[in-house]
Amino acid sequence: MRFVLRLLSPVLGLLVAAVGLITTIEVVTAWVAPASSPLVVPWPTWQAALLSSTWSSPVVRGVAIGVGVVGLLVLLVALVARRHDVRLTDPVPEVTVTTSPRSLARAVGHEVRSHADVVSASVVASSKKVVIKAGTLDAPDDVRAGVRERVDELLSRLPLARRPRVSVSVAATKGVK
Amino acid sequence: MSRRSRAAVARSTAADRSLVVLSGLVLLAAGVLVVLLGMGIFGVYRAQRPLIDPDVTAWIAANANLTRWIAIVGGIVLLVVGLTWAIRSLRPEARPDVLLSETPGQRLTVEHSAIAEAVRNDAEAIDGVSRARVRLVGTERRPALRMTLWLVEDADVRDVWAEVDGRVLARARQAFAVDALPTAVRIELDAAATKTPRVL
Repeated sequence: MRFVLRLLSPVLGLLVAAVGLITTIEVVTAWVAPASSPLVVPWPTWQAALLSSTWSSPVVRGVAIGVGVVGLLVLLVALVARRHDVRLTDPVPEVTVTTSPRSLARAVGHEVRSHADVVSASVVASSKKVVIKAGTLDAPDDVRAGVRERVDELLSRLPLARRPRVSVSVAATKGVK
Repeated sequence: MSRRSRAAVARSTAADRSLVVLSGLVLLAAGVLVVLLGMGIFGVYRAQRPLIDPDVTAWIAANANLTRWIAIVGGIVLLVVGLTWAIRSLRPEARPDVLLSETPGQRLTVEHSAIAEAVRNDAEAIDGVSRARVRLVGTERRPALRMTLWLVEDADVRDVWAEVDGRVLARARQAFAVDALPTAVRIELDAAATKTPRVL
């Protein structure tokens, strides 16, 4: 969502600038050379439409609902676009160490797949939680304990600032061993 | 952890976010207010009035020049604010050179690329690091280092840290003649396979 924010922000800025520019141009044109007005946007048509519609007309309400919904979406984009870095403990005071959730998931995934009895695995990680789904041809409960042990060992090796909760689910996969 | 090293982790989007939040709030408030107005919450009679109120039209007719000036100044303000916003938001993040001496006639700066390249070479020499990317952020007077390290599988993060702080950053601090150099390290774990094959 940070990408959307970085895209949306300059677009909104340019929109504001365009509104300002067009307002200035139209007002100056209508004042200095009324004959050539409207120059860019057909504002007399808009003016007539605004004069003839009331606050309670359905078109006005529809447009207002549309504007409100767009506002809500813009607000959501801005609120959701934050970084999801996984913090590691700082080795010295002036150094901050982070990793990405994807990188943590990759490390956990490698560890899980290196278990001999695991045939498939998917990992989703954040700084708070690591969710592991694995498939096996053996008894799922035994493999689950083994996987959890490996992941716990990996997480204790990594100097994470806060240890995420680990949830492991192992399902039996059909196949021949 | 210091404030400056944390600020160096990534480019700040605080300004962009605030402005976008503000725009969203303004649009949302305008939409909700107009809907409420149309529903007659602020008076049934008011809901029946046209969007451009006859009272407003009368005031504009009486103060034509004042209205024009207000509109022109408002338009110019919006133009300047909007352009500043867009330019600030599109401008790439600065890559500051480092100022070593400010004595008049002996002003000495080190180019950004020279420092970044030197630190990168040092970092890539660490055992367990397969690739490094280094750049400076902040200002000429208050630079900070942003470093991304791609670790090979099985690399011990603590060992890598010890090397980063003890050798790479120590050399950088020495070169800049500073006691502390705020640094943000981003680590990509298991980014490259080790030499030994994993599949037997």
